[in-house]
Amino acid sequence: MRLLPDLMRRWRVPLLWLLAALLCGGIILKTPVVADLTLFVPRADLVAELLLEQFRSGPTTRLILIGLSGATEVDRAAVSRRLVEQLRSSGPFVRVANGADALPEAELQTLFAHRYLLSPTVGPERFTPEALRTALQQRLRELQSPLAVVQKRWLPADPTGEVLALLKRWQGGIREPAKRLGVWFSPDGGRALLLAETRAAGYDLAGQRQAVTAIRAAFATAVAGTTVQLQMSGPGVIATLAEDTVRAEAELLSVLATLGVVLMLVLVYRSGWTVWIGALPMLAALLAGAAAVDLLFGKMYALTLAFSLTLLGETLDYPTYLFSHRQAGEIVQDTLRGLWPTMRLCAATTLLGCLAMIAPDVPGLNQLGVFTIAGIAAAVATTRWLLPALLPPDWRPARVIGVGVWMDTLLEPRPRLALTVGAAGLLVLLALVIKAPPVWEDDIAALSPVPRELLRLDQELRNALGAPEVGQLIAITAPDAETALQQSEIVAAWLDTQQQKGLLAGYEAAARYLPSQQIQQQRQAQLPEREMLAADLARAAGGLPFQPDLFNPFLEDIAAARTAPPVRPEDLRRTLLGTRIGILLFPGERGWTALLPLSGVQEPKRLAAGLPPSTVGQIWYLDLRAETSRLAAGFRATALQRLTWGVALIVGAIWIGLRCWRGVIATLTPVAVALIFTVAALLSLGERLSLFHLVSLLLVLGIGVDYGLFFSRPGADPAQRRRTLHALLVCCGSALTVFGMLATSELPALRAIGLTVSMGVVASFSVALVMARTPSQ
Amino acid sequence: MKRWFAVLLAVLLLCWPLAAVIADEALTEVMRTLAAVKSLQAEFREEKTLAMLQQPLVTTGRLYYQAPAYLRKQTLQPQPEDYTANGEWLTLDTPEGGQRDFNLNGYPQLRPFVEAIRATQAGDQATLERYYRLEFQGTPADWTLRLTPLDPTAAGYVAAIVMHGKNERIVSVETLEPDGDRSLMIIDLTTIESP
Repeated sequence: MRLLPDLMRRWRVPLLWLLAALLCGGIILKTPVVADLTLFVPRADLVAELLLEQFRSGPTTRLILIGLSGATEVDRAAVSRRLVEQLRSSGPFVRVANGADALPEAELQTLFAHRYLLSPTVGPERFTPEALRTALQQRLRELQSPLAVVQKRWLPADPTGEVLALLKRWQGGIREPAKRLGVWFSPDGGRALLLAETRAAGYDLAGQRQAVTAIRAAFATAVAGTTVQLQMSGPGVIATLAEDTVRAEAELLSVLATLGVVLMLVLVYRSGWTVWIGALPMLAALLAGAAAVDLLFGKMYALTLAFSLTLLGETLDYPTYLFSHRQAGEIVQDTLRGLWPTMRLCAATTLLGCLAMIAPDVPGLNQLGVFTIAGIAAAVATTRWLLPALLPPDWRPARVIGVGVWMDTLLEPRPRLALTVGAAGLLVLLALVIKAPPVWEDDIAALSPVPRELLRLDQELRNALGAPEVGQLIAITAPDAETALQQSEIVAAWLDTQQQKGLLAGYEAAARYLPSQQIQQQRQAQLPEREMLAADLARAAGGLPFQPDLFNPFLEDIAAARTAPPVRPEDLRRTLLGTRIGILLFPGERGWTALLPLSGVQEPKRLAAGLPPSTVGQIWYLDLRAETSRLAAGFRATALQRLTWGVALIVGAIWIGLRCWRGVIATLTPVAVALIFTVAALLSLGERLSLFHLVSLLLVLGIGVDYGLFFSRPGADPAQRRRTLHALLVCCGSALTVFGMLATSELPALRAIGLTVSMGVVASFSVALVMARTPSQ
Repeated sequence: MKRWFAVLLAVLLLCWPLAAVIADEALTEVMRTLAAVKSLQAEFREEKTLAMLQQPLVTTGRLYYQAPAYLRKQTLQPQPEDYTANGEWLTLDTPEGGQRDFNLNGYPQLRPFVEAIRATQAGDQATLERYYRLEFQGTPADWTLRLTPLDPTAAGYVAAIVMHGKNERIVSVETLEPDGDRSLMIIDLTTIESP
């Protein structure tokens, strides 16, 4: 009967741990992983938010650019036609275009029906007898042309040629790609091009994935045995691919890294049991970190997942400290008790360093911070309380820690070498400050977890398709669509004058296709009354060979247009016209936004300075390159600031732990020198420092502090110091295995982390070995 | 009368395939003589009869042809206009629109209209048959070739193009539109280079 309480006591901790692990596992089972870069942008910046909204859900994010290459030109064109047919009959797309069709007849009729409200040339001077006569003479000349067979059908109802004016505007809007064999092709003819617009918004990854799958399936049918190849790009495709790539690469690398570390540990400790026990803190860290992120944020950013790999390296250290410090005649609990002050301090410094990353306005950094804090806490707790419960009290690793002469040689105090290394560190620091200040990476693409090759493909397809690539644009926000259109018209009028001065080559605007109701009503008011128009038309046609009653449809249509309701954006929904307008005018979180993409801007600053003021909405001039660079610089500034806070917190924590300034200096000097060496090495490798390097440096700082603390542990005898050296060698080795693996990654982010941490770990270890010594009492 | 009719019918029936064969041979012959022409220059007068107008619309100008794929229609009166088809490209030059180039591969709907005259003058029967149903009547010395568009879109604009010719010369081109409008172009040869 006393067996049960005994069992309870012995297995209480493992049971609790298991329960917690299962709970965490249950929580993260459904955590959505999103590749959303915007999580790393500081909030509370209006222009930035406007931009982000574009990046996240703007109509351009719904576009999927498709390229078909390989085989012959005829094959590419044929596959293009079949692909369009297949995709049009499937659900996820609003529009699929390959250039084969001009405006469909139904939409041509829509334009025709509304021509007197939509045509930019309608005005009172359009219907004077003189103007009418000029128009009729013009139409007569057009009848002589061979093209008259196609155009003459509009003549009786449209002698002033409004439909032609509308079509010209419609076709002149975007640069249409060149056509070969009737479909869009890249300028060199190597690729047939298509454009698909998804129903799902760009940030709706599930919807985008469905669209991408639909394209792949349709292509499989359309390819019909030819060797044509499919290429896809666009924000949605990139997002889904980024998620896949990060996931796949992170999985592969973590498997490889785990294998490497396991192999190393088995070699060192010669015991599978040790390795299994040693993996428990790491497992706890991953589960707890992911669960904490899920509970606090509801989703996990793909990059957090990538960073979680870094935990692997750090959490392995804790059990290693225990294993290497085991000695005969001491129970596990006692070893842990002896190590606990130092280990606690190590964990505390890392936790505080991460605490600094938590900033209310950068959700991405927040996630990283939360993940690491929860993970480290779980790993330390597992090492401290679960491991002794699982291990027999007298357990020791199968292979006794080797005590070699080389260890004593390594550990010999070398004041002169230490001084030299310190001086070298100072010199390098000076050189960094004076000669080669760090090169910062301000290209936002470098933050993207997307392989550069895909980004290049995207750029190529975008250029070839003339898809709206927003470099310079004016954004107008207003409470409703009508106000946004009216404001666009004011800006458009101003842009016309700037265009005449040669400050820009052209611009796009929804108001070019769909005037505000105000303008439409003005046009209505200027349309002549039927009797007057009939009389003027009769005078104008005098002496011309037109049949007497030919233009009756014209008189009727003008009369109808005088009382017709104005055309609104919603009237054009689900048409090609509506799609074109929807890209430039759309509702958002704060009312409506109208975009006016500019092309061929000569002096952005001058143009931005002259922007007309708005009375009802807001008008912004956005230079996307400049803005994104500014954002990237913003990230970096934020990260630097956090790094500084992290350093301050770590220094504070060490002081509290050691209560002695000499100890603090002894611990921190090696880390500082190691950091200087790491940055210098990165720069000499030609790396441009980004957010990832900075966050990794914070990790190096944490690891370096651990090394410093352990090397300068007070009250350690020589045997103890040898065991510490052994532990740190193993830690350094496993970190190097993991992060060396990451450094080989194709993904810019993972490479940056791997490179920085592996170099940092080596530098920290060697410098700490030389410089850190127990302060003499 | 009845017997006469029966005999006539019998003769006609017997000769029908023969006539077709003869027509086929004649078409081949005409195509061969047309294909031999290296270049030519001509004046034209075109008269369009349109339901919209009370009187026909008359234009005059020049035609230039160079084997195998260059054809230019230069209208001089009443208003200058220039259409040049050269290989895959069609160039328009009008006082209002200026000069514009179209790749014929990109505008399949234009192609039949260009080929009607160009491929006939080049003696390129294969190309003609890709876009039209061909009906030939007469002899190489005095022939009529009727082209009916195969493509429904093209047929919506043009019901038929009827060409009259004498040996290697096209004398007139008549375009018939489905709505009853039509135009007749009379071609007056000025110079011709052929073997």
